Amino acid sequence: MSDPNDAVSAVWYDGVNALRHQGEVHWDRPAVLQLVESNGELLECPLDDLRFAEVIGNRRIYSRSSIPDFRLRLPRELPEDLARLLPAASVYGKWIDRFGLWRAAAVLAVFSAACAALFMTAPQWLGPMIPWSWEQRLGDAMVGNFGNRLCSTPQSDRALAKLLGEIDPGDRRIRVGIANIGIVNAVTLPGGHILLFNGIIQQAKSPDELAGVLAHEVGHVQERHVMTALLRQFGLSILLSGANTNVGNTAFGVASMSYSRAAERQADADARASLARADISPMGAANFFARMANKTGDDGDDASIASWLASHPSSVEREKEFRSSAVSGKKYHPALTPQEFAALKSACKNDKDVQGFDFF
Amino acid sequence: MHGVGSEGESAFTFEGTWREYAPIAFTNLLLTIVTLGIYRFWATARTRRYLWSRSRFVDENLEWTGTGKELFFGFLLVVLLVIAPFFILSQVAQALLIRGQSVLGGIVSAMAVLAIYYLGGVARFRAIRYRLSRTRWRGIRGGTDNQGFAYGLSYMWKTFVGTIVFGLMIPWSMTRLWNERWRAMSFGPFPFEADAAWQPVFKRFLLFYLAPLLGFIGMAVVLATGALAGYGMGGDAGAKVGMGLTIVALVLFFYLGLGLIAVAFYAKFYREAVGSTRWRELQFSFEASTGDWVKLLLGDIALVILTLGIGIIFLSYRHWKFFMVHMEASGEILLDELTQSTTRTATHGEGLLDAFDIGAI
Repeated sequence: MSDPNDAVSAVWYDGVNALRHQGEVHWDRPAVLQLVESNGELLECPLDDLRFAEVIGNRRIYSRSSIPDFRLRLPRELPEDLARLLPAASVYGKWIDRFGLWRAAAVLAVFSAACAALFMTAPQWLGPMIPWSWEQRLGDAMVGNFGNRLCSTPQSDRALAKLLGEIDPGDRRIRVGIANIGIVNAVTLPGGHILLFNGIIQQAKSPDELAGVLAHEVGHVQERHVMTALLRQFGLSILLSGANTNVGNTAFGVASMSYSRAAERQADADARASLARADISPMGAANFFARMANKTGDDGDDASIASWLASHPSSVEREKEFRSSAVSGKKYHPALTPQEFAALKSACKNDKDVQGFDFF
Repeated sequence: MHGVGSEGESAFTFEGTWREYAPIAFTNLLLTIVTLGIYRFWATARTRRYLWSRSRFVDENLEWTGTGKELFFGFLLVVLLVIAPFFILSQVAQALLIRGQSVLGGIVSAMAVLAIYYLGGVARFRAIRYRLSRTRWRGIRGGTDNQGFAYGLSYMWKTFVGTIVFGLMIPWSMTRLWNERWRAMSFGPFPFEADAAWQPVFKRFLLFYLAPLLGFIGMAVVLATGALAGYGMGGDAGAKVGMGLTIVALVLFFYLGLGLIAVAFYAKFYREAVGSTRWRELQFSFEASTGDWVKLLLGDIALVILTLGIGIIFLSYRHWKFFMVHMEASGEILLDELTQSTTRTATHGEGLLDAFDIGAI
């Protein structure tokens, strides 16, 4: 209970007009604040109706929730028993006040950093979660139908189908073709399109080499690396473009798309597993990498090979890995017959109406 | 009758100090960073609460009653109602263009641009409405029941007409729009009155047209002397260097000169506009000269550069202080008749304006 003598001076506006009311505040009645004006008039405010507004210099301001325009001004320093009755001051906002500035800032900083990290790593964890049908639709919109730009003869088509069937039995998602491009490379495009460039076929010494390369690309498809790379390169907006045909220029981006080294290693590991399953020797792939390592070892004169290497782990290391995965004494069977291999080699020569690619 | 007047000292005074504001500014910066920008709305509310509370009108301080939450919701509303439809509309336009429907695509994208133009006008109106409705003086607030949609149309055609004839009618459109905005507003039970005229600011505006002419004459003279000076020092090569340096100086001079003219015009416009605005018995005026504005802007630049950008957090303080220091009012207010505003208060903040990033006054 307050001593009636130590009443606190107060100024208030009733929110109805601009007249200033001056007087004293008394708090000896339960649950109510009495404002006594200098002319003796009494105004009673239920304590639970009062709302904290702000502290200005040496004054503190309260309003009333039933009369939002009502303003009560009290001195900043109040008798302790009165201060306890009044609603607490708010400085930074309700939540931050509750924790205190520094603790709230620390918690928020950790939370924000986590959000940022989640966002930055989104491609990695989100990519594999995107439904396959979306990727397929996206792939069709972005790269569409290759039309006449793939080298195709009945013999080469059969040979490719056989090769794919050996490596990836039962998976109907993947389509593989020979692109009429002289560069030593192979790419995996959105929607399970794998392109072996004619350059890589021409330099292959055995069908097992091609099996190794194809198995690597199939690994990219199965691990959903394509979606991850797309998300990394184009951000989440790529998911919208499946519904939009305005993706012509993104095809250029797809051509320059690359995977992380970790993804390449994973695809290599998958390739070794599928080669082993198909009883195809990993030595073909090992020999291919050995040749790559040699060709670009020191002089690096072959620019087309340099492009392949730029985005891939060191050929020496990959050669070793494939070589050591070979089981000595095991009887492997060749991935293709000599005739089938020859059909692949001659596919581009024998396909008379094949066109070139304009965006690679 | 109770009345307060403003005889003698200035009706508007600013009592804040930057030392008192600094803790607010720095904690705002900290919290804005750790919330990836979301605290911005609450930071704005805190800054305004401080600035308003240190601004005295006659015998009582102002009070800002806007909250961070309503600014945040205003922003969300704009994202939902303006930015998302605009994005969709421009996507549609692009898709149409790609399919060869260039006329239809052009119409759709023109519509999108027009809509943004229109909403820019509405936003400016609503920002003033929001600020008045959140400003309390002696418990009384301002506002308007006008939604600002008609003002948006007026803004569109007047700014368009203003620019068509070499921009000659820009002073007309600016003053007319000022009057329109402020006549729609009220504080307490009384509306503002504004009758700014374009004639007083027109002479200043003509400087814009004079500038290139003077610039060209100056250029010819200076180029020649620059080249001659260079020649005198180092022959032919010297003449080229001299000319090059002179061109750089001229370009700088041209932009600075144009900027200066813009400031001079704006200073004059502001004096005319505020000076033609009244509220009940009060006559407002704004006393900042071109020199004051230049000092403000140079101070801003120096502050930001010397603090490597951190000074940005003090700009709103500087601008508000500038506004308060130069704002004047004379006349008398009868307190008995100054009753509460009956205008509706919007429940969300100035989201639109925030999105378009335009100053309110």
